[in-house]
Amino acid sequence: MDLFLVNNLIWMLPLICVFAFLIIALFSQYIPTQGAIVSIGSIGIAFLIFIFVLIDFVNGGLLPIHSSFTWIDLGEWQISWGLLIDRISIVMIGLITFVAFLVQIYSVGYMKGDSRFGWYFAVHSLFAAAMLLLVLSDNLLLLYFAWELVGLGSYLLIGFWYEKKSAAEAAKKAFVTTRIGDVGLLIGIIILFKASGTFDISSIIHVAQEGGISNDVIFWSSLLIFLGAMGKSAQFPLHVWLPDAMEGPTPVSALIHAATMVAAGIYLVGRMFPLFELGPGILTIISIVGIVTFILAGAIALVMTDIKRVLAYSTISHLGLMMLSLGSFGAPAAFFHLVIHGFSKALLFLGAGSVMHGMHDQTEVELMGGLRKKMPITSITFLIGTLSLAGIVPLSGFFSKDEILISIWEYNPWFFPVTLFGVFLSSLYMIRLYCLIFLSSARSDYSEKAHESPRIMTYPLIILSVLAVFSGLLAFPSPITEWQGFAAFIDDHHKFHMVPWITAVSIVVAFSGAFLGWVIYGARKIEITAISKPFKFIYQLVSRKFLFDEIYSWIATKIVFTFARWLTVFDRVIVNDTGIDGVGNSTKKSADRLKYFQSGYLYNYSLVMVIGLFLMAIIWWVIE
Amino acid sequence: MISIDLILFFIASSLVVGGGFLVVTVKNIVYAAFALLVAMLGTAGIFLLAFADFLALVQILIYGGAVVVVILFALMLTRLEDFKGLTDNSQKPLAVLVSLTVLTIMLYAIVATAMPTSQGDAISMIDLGVSLFQDWAIPFEVASLVLLVALIGAVVLVRQDEEGR
Amino acid sequence: MTIIHFQFLSAILFSLGLYGVLARRSAVLILMSIELMLNAVNINLIGFVAFRGFGQEIQTFGQVLIIFVITIAAAELALAIAIILRIYRNKNSVNVDEMNILKG
Repeated sequence: MDLFLVNNLIWMLPLICVFAFLIIALFSQYIPTQGAIVSIGSIGIAFLIFIFVLIDFVNGGLLPIHSSFTWIDLGEWQISWGLLIDRISIVMIGLITFVAFLVQIYSVGYMKGDSRFGWYFAVHSLFAAAMLLLVLSDNLLLLYFAWELVGLGSYLLIGFWYEKKSAAEAAKKAFVTTRIGDVGLLIGIIILFKASGTFDISSIIHVAQEGGISNDVIFWSSLLIFLGAMGKSAQFPLHVWLPDAMEGPTPVSALIHAATMVAAGIYLVGRMFPLFELGPGILTIISIVGIVTFILAGAIALVMTDIKRVLAYSTISHLGLMMLSLGSFGAPAAFFHLVIHGFSKALLFLGAGSVMHGMHDQTEVELMGGLRKKMPITSITFLIGTLSLAGIVPLSGFFSKDEILISIWEYNPWFFPVTLFGVFLSSLYMIRLYCLIFLSSARSDYSEKAHESPRIMTYPLIILSVLAVFSGLLAFPSPITEWQGFAAFIDDHHKFHMVPWITAVSIVVAFSGAFLGWVIYGARKIEITAISKPFKFIYQLVSRKFLFDEIYSWIATKIVFTFARWLTVFDRVIVNDTGIDGVGNSTKKSADRLKYFQSGYLYNYSLVMVIGLFLMAIIWWVIE
Repeated sequence: MISIDLILFFIASSLVVGGGFLVVTVKNIVYAAFALLVAMLGTAGIFLLAFADFLALVQILIYGGAVVVVILFALMLTRLEDFKGLTDNSQKPLAVLVSLTVLTIMLYAIVATAMPTSQGDAISMIDLGVSLFQDWAIPFEVASLVLLVALIGAVVLVRQDEEGR
Repeated sequence: MTIIHFQFLSAILFSLGLYGVLARRSAVLILMSIELMLNAVNINLIGFVAFRGFGQEIQTFGQVLIIFVITIAAAELALAIAIILRIYRNKNSVNVDEMNILKG
């Protein structure tokens, strides 16, 4: 196809969503359905463009499609705005447009009757535009720009019901926590710009690989960029915002806080991976952060009783797994898991939304139970999502997890047993969640009267569950076409391969976790208290989320506020009283004194003028 | 050797200096106006001695006629009693000092840079007219425009407003 | 009769005018003093023109120049008188002692 056309089509991807945002934000009340149709239409068109571009990309031999224009020309430096389609970004675009499309359709049912129905879809469009720009941008500056816009969309949607104090607080918390990472990212970008003289990612990597950037600079800039990724992807210890982000509408959690935005950190690390490789020790740090997040969040997910919080911690945990995979040279595996986790987790969140819809917005699993009969479609699709995420064998989650385990075994064998424990936890808490919600009998009036959701909500669930079942097949090379497996699609050097014993171990671990979960929570053969009693201290610690919130609020109130108070004094006394007021006062005082020079009498002025004139003449004369 | 010219010059200059002195010293402002007239006429005499017949005429017409009349009109339009006692201000001693200093400096400068001198030619009014209306026609027109603008401005400034301000 | 006579006369007249501007209290008198100073300038100019041996052409030019000076002086006088009348109408006085609204 015509290259010119493709280049412009790429730009249409974010632009069409921006236009949708503007149209809905400005003219919401004049459009039928308050603009939802515009939003869904625009993201649908974006998905069609994705297919178009994908076909072109595959026909073009998987060569990158690049389109850019110069934004600021400083002679020596040029800052350009460019979009780049390559193997990573095409995957991300597909995930984003597809999941966003389904989630928006679902939202029509979920958000029905909300007073800010139109605004919800406007922000959704803005988010989609920002996210597409983020994965498409070819330079770090534009990426940062989109990065912040994505954060804004997340902030607006978490705090969508801002009348609720907890929602407003959660939005603030998310914004502030990710900001810590964003500052790191910005500093890292600036360091890289200073070292390489360009924002362009491929140029920076090229310069770094040629040895144009010293190891120290690579180390620190990589670390700072990784800090940004940690903030966005809710990695330990910046993970605290994501569970609270569940205050937003559930479809938002599905789209932003499970499938797309939190994946931005993974994407960023994957994008900058060639740079990270060069930094000494960076990959180890990434691995450690990833595995700590994986285990801690998995443990917390095990004791949470709020359906959305369980899923939130599960998301954090799996993001940790992706980071671990990246740290173990498993970028293709990480992206594969990103996609499959995106489908599965979006499915789970939408299922949770459906449950909440039927339960009058109750999120406490203790109040549920026995919903299997009352919500058959939700139950089945949720089960598929659960099994996929738990890594049970024929479902897609199994395949991606398997690839990650292989790369961990090859590059970070010490982490392998711990990872297996995390896998065990993962299947245990997922089965626990499913059992508590859908099995046994109703534990409250709400669950007695629960009803199935409308079709506009169940259809997206069905579509996603089909994907959650079958997308794992992408891992295999195709016997008929040129498809060499997902890993090879991301990176030619990664050939699809399996290690039989790892696969076997993985199957055993996942099944044992699932079985244990079923025994405890489904069949109720073992009392829960009997397990938690001997480990009371650990149970307490875990159920209080390892005291992160307490520690952070202590830091915030004691250290930050005290420091801020000192700064206030400094500001008031030095800056304000001495600096600003001081200048003003001294001007005023000197004016008070000097004003007596101004007699206001004409002849005084003329006398001084004449004296001055002749003094000047005399001086000139003397000099001559 | 004292020539007729020089005697006439001294007479004219004494008129100028005397008139000027009276302008800046007399208490009665009407006397000051007439002293100004004397000084102007003296200046006309000086012009005559410097071969500028036409300028002497202009001087008498404009200064001796128009300017002094305008000043007298100004005095008339304001109340004359207001000028009673309006003589010198508080910085008079300082003014004397400064003026004398300036005079000293100028006289010193004049003496210090003594210049060769030679008698000029008499200029006929025909030559002056030709020069004014041929070589300097455009500046002449511009000057007339300036006068016009000044007169319009004066009228606008003095005109009684609707509100009677 | 040489240049120096004209220069001396001009200097004396200029100083007198200057003294008038600096020492007088009435706006009209200050204006008259300014006229004196302008005359001093004219005297100086005609002295140079006539007794420096420039020749006829320059001499003619100098006289034209003086005509312009007189013209501009007349314009200035007209405006100044107008301003004085305006001030008189507003403040009912031509005393510069009372025109001190710029006093600090």
